[in-house]
Amino acid sequence: MKSLYSSAIFLLSVLVFTSCQDEMTSTYTYRTMMPVYYEMSDIRARVITTEPAKPLDNPGKIYIYEDYLFINEPTKGIHILNNENPANPVNLSFIPIAGNVDLAVNGNILYADNYVDLLAFDISNISNIQLIKRIEDVFTHMYYHQTGEIITFKDTVLTSENPNWGGDGFWLMNSSMSFSANYSAASQSYGTGGSMARFTLSNGHLYAVDESTLRVFDVKTATDPTFVKPIDLGWGIETIFPFQDKLFIGSNVGMHIYDASTPNSPTRMAVYEHVRACDPVVVNEDYAFVTLRNGTACNGVDELHVIDINDLYNPTLKKSYPMLNPHGLGLAGNFLYIAEGAHGLKSFNASDVMNIDQNQLEFLTDQSSVDLIPGPKSLIVIGPDGVCQFDYSNPARLKKLSCIQVTNPTKFY
Amino acid sequence: MNRKSYLLFIGLLLLSFESMAQEGKYFGQTEIGILYGRSAEQWDGNHEERTDLTLLTFHGMKISRSHVVGFSVGLDQYDGVPILPFAFGYRGFLGKEGKPKIFGGVDLGYGSAMLEKREENEWSKSWYRGGLMFSPSVGFSFPALKGNSALSLSLAYKRQDISYFQGFLTGPGAQTIVSDQLPPGFSSLSKTENLYRSFVFRAGLMF
Repeated sequence: MKSLYSSAIFLLSVLVFTSCQDEMTSTYTYRTMMPVYYEMSDIRARVITTEPAKPLDNPGKIYIYEDYLFINEPTKGIHILNNENPANPVNLSFIPIAGNVDLAVNGNILYADNYVDLLAFDISNISNIQLIKRIEDVFTHMYYHQTGEIITFKDTVLTSENPNWGGDGFWLMNSSMSFSANYSAASQSYGTGGSMARFTLSNGHLYAVDESTLRVFDVKTATDPTFVKPIDLGWGIETIFPFQDKLFIGSNVGMHIYDASTPNSPTRMAVYEHVRACDPVVVNEDYAFVTLRNGTACNGVDELHVIDINDLYNPTLKKSYPMLNPHGLGLAGNFLYIAEGAHGLKSFNASDVMNIDQNQLEFLTDQSSVDLIPGPKSLIVIGPDGVCQFDYSNPARLKKLSCIQVTNPTKFY
Repeated sequence: MNRKSYLLFIGLLLLSFESMAQEGKYFGQTEIGILYGRSAEQWDGNHEERTDLTLLTFHGMKISRSHVVGFSVGLDQYDGVPILPFAFGYRGFLGKEGKPKIFGGVDLGYGSAMLEKREENEWSKSWYRGGLMFSPSVGFSFPALKGNSALSLSLAYKRQDISYFQGFLTGPGAQTIVSDQLPPGFSSLSKTENLYRSFVFRAGLMF
């Protein structure tokens, strides 16, 4: 009995002495871009030598060179694969290049960006790749200030106990602003703009576009690229597509056409404007095909536009077709291939541009895709399943040859 | 524990009490009352008061003349969030048979937020998670003139943890990054943990 008494008293004292007030603690965990600073002198001091093959983590731009595939791993380097047999690509080696997002091959020379520098590698002997030239300080937009320090961003998860970060503060860390969103987009050969360069070769020149600038390199002597000049393009530049001596540059408000007949000084011929959207471009003699996509970074519509470019100074819309969610596209002869994002992969006979929708040849709904490259041996399709190759000798019957698994596949953007 | 297993658990318990009742060892207590508390200090330094309805039903077995152990289920509400507390409990009595008695008790268990719906859309998810419930109580029981039942009045303290989570999903195209701090697919997650400390005044029946 006594013990019950004392326990009752204990309980009463608990009631009386415990502060009778609620407690609230908040934690806010978010992804953010942590700035990381590097001294360019440190980056340049690193010796770049070929390393053994690494599994593909998050493949970016793909470049086809002879029987090889060069696959960029954004900000990390370049994978080299032997694609002699598209049904069985073999991962050969990896070139670690910090800050690398794009590449191009000219003859036996591979060009790759290394933060603010452009590197040239001799790849004539694929098992012994040599760095032969470094052009310093060309992608200067990455400089943090003039002291040779560059700024990049690392995707990080932080936890804060400051309750003010909750509620309305989150927009600051909206994932679409996250570096990785940009970076996965930039990793596509037809992607939305990050702050990174995109390369294309035309007429003995290498053109690199970043968000607002076209940079011209003279590569007539492949082993000795030289920086010619930067050309201001205006904001929102996303893609560059060379055709004959023209450059078709996609921005998020339209398509710029540049005359590159004087290769070291391209001049603007026209701008075809459309609604704000993400818009990869492919071109043939008479028409430009542009996909407009509704997406996080580029609100707009989902359409395929066919633009008459017979008069390059006055491109006009010939016809537009509704699409599901078109991402990258590719043109091989008269056949047009469109990556429809999560909806699949489409092939069309585009010889009659007024009736492309009537001439859909195949729609692979189980082949999610974000981008594609019609290569000499296979149609390379990039999607969440990895990097897949198709035999497209019959565009109405695409035959899957192989898929390279990736550990951190591209998602839809 | 999911909803089904909770219900199964409760069902089994009730069945076992059914059999105990026949042996005269069963003890039950069902009360209704109010839950009173003061919020944490707000931005302006004030506290907001909250008053809510609370229900408790305790079912147990007499292990001796004045000691009961058992299980309690209830229904509480905190700032509009309904919580189902499931707890193991004890009741002890002081006093003579047939006379008003003083009793004390403790309930310790988990308050579940399973009644609150998880909200989900394309961009975000939000949900509540229950937490530890601890509630000591004291009271008086007044036996009925006839039979085994008694009127009970109790005063309790109740501590209940509830967490609210609100997470924004990573947009399509974003790469997942591996982190133990953030569940996959989220770009941010805010957790607000509320520790509610309440006074409870209840009245009901013991049988």
